[in-house]
Amino acid sequence: MTATVPTGTEVVRGACPHDCPDTCALTITVQDGRAVSVTGDHEHPFTRGGLCVKVDNYLDRVYSPDRVLFPMRRTGPKGSGRFERISWDAALDEISKRFRSISAEYGPEAIMPVSYLGTQGILNGLNVGDPFFAKLGATIAERTYCDSGSCTAYMMTIGDSAGVDPENIVHSRFILVWACNIMSTNLHLWPVIAEARKRGAKVVVVDPVRTRTAKAADWHIPIRPGTDGALAMAMMHVIINEGLTDDDYVANHTVGYDQLVERVRQYTPEWAAEETGVPAEDIRRLAREYAGGQPSVIRIGVAVERHAGGGQAVRALSCLPALVGAWRKPGGGILQLPLWAFPVNWGAMMHPEMLEPGKRIVNQYLLGAALTGGMKLDPPIKALMVYNTNPVVVCPDQDKLVEGLRREDLFTVVSEQFMTDTAELADIVLPATTQLEQDDIMFSWGHLYVTYNHRSIEPLGEAVPNTELFRRLAARMGFTDPVFQRTDADMIAEAFDWSAPAMRGITVESLKERGWQRLSVPPPDEYAPHAEGGFPTASGKVEFVSSAAAGGNFVVPLFRQGSNDHQPGTPVDPLPHYIPPREAAHTNPELAAKYPLNLLTPKPHAYLNSSDGNLPFHRRVQGDAAILIHPSDASARGIVTDDDVRVFNDRGSFVMKAKVDPSVLTGVTVSAYGAWRMHATSLSTVASVNPVAFADLGNAPTFSDTLVQIEKA
Amino acid sequence: MAYVVTDACVDIMDQSCVEECPVDCIYEGDRMMYIHPDECVDCGKCVPVCPSDAIFWEHKLPAELAHFTAAATEFFEQREDSSG
Repeated sequence: MTATVPTGTEVVRGACPHDCPDTCALTITVQDGRAVSVTGDHEHPFTRGGLCVKVDNYLDRVYSPDRVLFPMRRTGPKGSGRFERISWDAALDEISKRFRSISAEYGPEAIMPVSYLGTQGILNGLNVGDPFFAKLGATIAERTYCDSGSCTAYMMTIGDSAGVDPENIVHSRFILVWACNIMSTNLHLWPVIAEARKRGAKVVVVDPVRTRTAKAADWHIPIRPGTDGALAMAMMHVIINEGLTDDDYVANHTVGYDQLVERVRQYTPEWAAEETGVPAEDIRRLAREYAGGQPSVIRIGVAVERHAGGGQAVRALSCLPALVGAWRKPGGGILQLPLWAFPVNWGAMMHPEMLEPGKRIVNQYLLGAALTGGMKLDPPIKALMVYNTNPVVVCPDQDKLVEGLRREDLFTVVSEQFMTDTAELADIVLPATTQLEQDDIMFSWGHLYVTYNHRSIEPLGEAVPNTELFRRLAARMGFTDPVFQRTDADMIAEAFDWSAPAMRGITVESLKERGWQRLSVPPPDEYAPHAEGGFPTASGKVEFVSSAAAGGNFVVPLFRQGSNDHQPGTPVDPLPHYIPPREAAHTNPELAAKYPLNLLTPKPHAYLNSSDGNLPFHRRVQGDAAILIHPSDASARGIVTDDDVRVFNDRGSFVMKAKVDPSVLTGVTVSAYGAWRMHATSLSTVASVNPVAFADLGNAPTFSDTLVQIEKA
Repeated sequence: MAYVVTDACVDIMDQSCVEECPVDCIYEGDRMMYIHPDECVDCGKCVPVCPSDAIFWEHKLPAELAHFTAAATEFFEQREDSSG
């Protein structure tokens, strides 16, 4: 643990812990040990002092009367909500005893971690439990919640490049925002786009929904869900057919152009118009303006991967910038995850070498099936350790998952800040700190600054950071390896490859003092990493024909505790192509006859996934859970705004208020996810109807590839 | 969802907020400034630069100033009517 926090009035530098691209630099004012305000750091060049609705009220979270502050043990039947306070000693005793006995009886693979990025810091986030579970020999958790399919596709095409610096989008002339509601999920990018617009850039949004971002754009292109790949392939068709390519860039910095020319021949604008609902003339115009508006940038959102062909859609989108030479200048290219610019020392966090080769892997999206016999696991899962996530709300197959978590023979430990839908079903609940109560160091997946988070207040109650949780568990299990002896300071010292060129001039000390520092890369006005090619692929070029496809489909090991075993390995066509949605009228007419509406479940405005879904202020801003229905679909069902409606398919159902709204396409219906199950009148949320089927690449979910029917409840 | 300018701006109209606003959503009325409720992106940058402390987040608007939300809506409706 770190030194005691100061008394008197202090201003402390922190960082937002949420799984959001913006990773805002925070300023926390502390009086006599109590935080009295959390504001954005005005000096931060990207986040510039503005905080979103989720974090502007961070103290509501920290000091909520509903915080879990002490270890608790279940006293009633599972889900009864009856718990008693116990000591940390008693909790650790029980957990270690149960883990040992389950391991002895069934083997350690009967134990599985369940976690993601409920807190995103390098210490307390994605990999914090990995060495512990590797040592234990537990089942490996594959965590493909977010951008996993997109990452596989992007790496197959461009490699692990940071791509465009979000700040240099001010120089873009044509900004194509694809499946990303920036104003709700990437707020601080919008002022950059607004500045580019003042300088003459055109902003185009491709989205099935007329979101706030789409409304603010110069041109909104509504597209049928799951057909993004068709539009991107047709754009390539137009660009190639009309000679809008940058021939010199293509010749020098890409591989497979001739095969790509052959491949896109079939994807005419007329064909794509049928598929996407976007008129052929609009597709031509989009392709021409995109190619002509150099430097042009594509900002893709996580949503673009969430359908059967999501991976190939990202493959196609990742090919486009090279085709038109967008990479030549600052502000040109594609913005996926600038995370790849950060030389995070993932190995020191994950310790994949501690994994036993061939260890079983279970994807967390399949947890419902895994717990209820649907996966024929041997040994079966007998214990779960949940931290940094609330699977009941964020995983699909909700009914099965809840059924599984109710198993009396399943031992479930949940480390949490609040009594979530998942924590309510636990045997032991452990108190977790908020970001103000812990030290951490942050990467970003939406800008190029490293941010330091100083602990600003003492942990409340008996809450501990995840790092301390796993130190305690490891000690109780008798794990004496040096990795389990590390203090937070030791871990911070190992968090980055400090000798990497991107870290030049950045040290732990300088970060502690300044709070944040830009990676040592050229300034935004000059940053154009691929002006002369130099892509981090096997060929060093943009691979229209992907050499990495030869090994078949894979999940980036970062999302599976560093393991490269048991990869999906299914064959992947090395050329980009179009895979239509599974659940659509033209691909599954029988299903569409029963369930004619395509449900989208985007990120809410006031919650970060399910985080904040319990806080009164956030719930007021977000409003009651509601489902948007186009007026024509509503009137066909006799539905008016504020009617209770039942939304259902073969997987499940939920009930909520309808909101008749022309901002969605006919045949499309939208309900934000993140609302808690316990607040739903039907005790079920959108997660109950969402599919478990994966997209074509990287085991991404297919939440935008979901058919439902709606009726008055 | 938006920020709202309130009475402290009346007849002051310092306009530091206009300089600060990244999306140019703050407009000049006869006696005060108005934030366009649909154009505002909730970034909050205008709040600290206002010398009159006139700007509040809609969700944190003191009850006695609540009518300024409606006043903004009305201002822009009239503006659109007269321009359209």
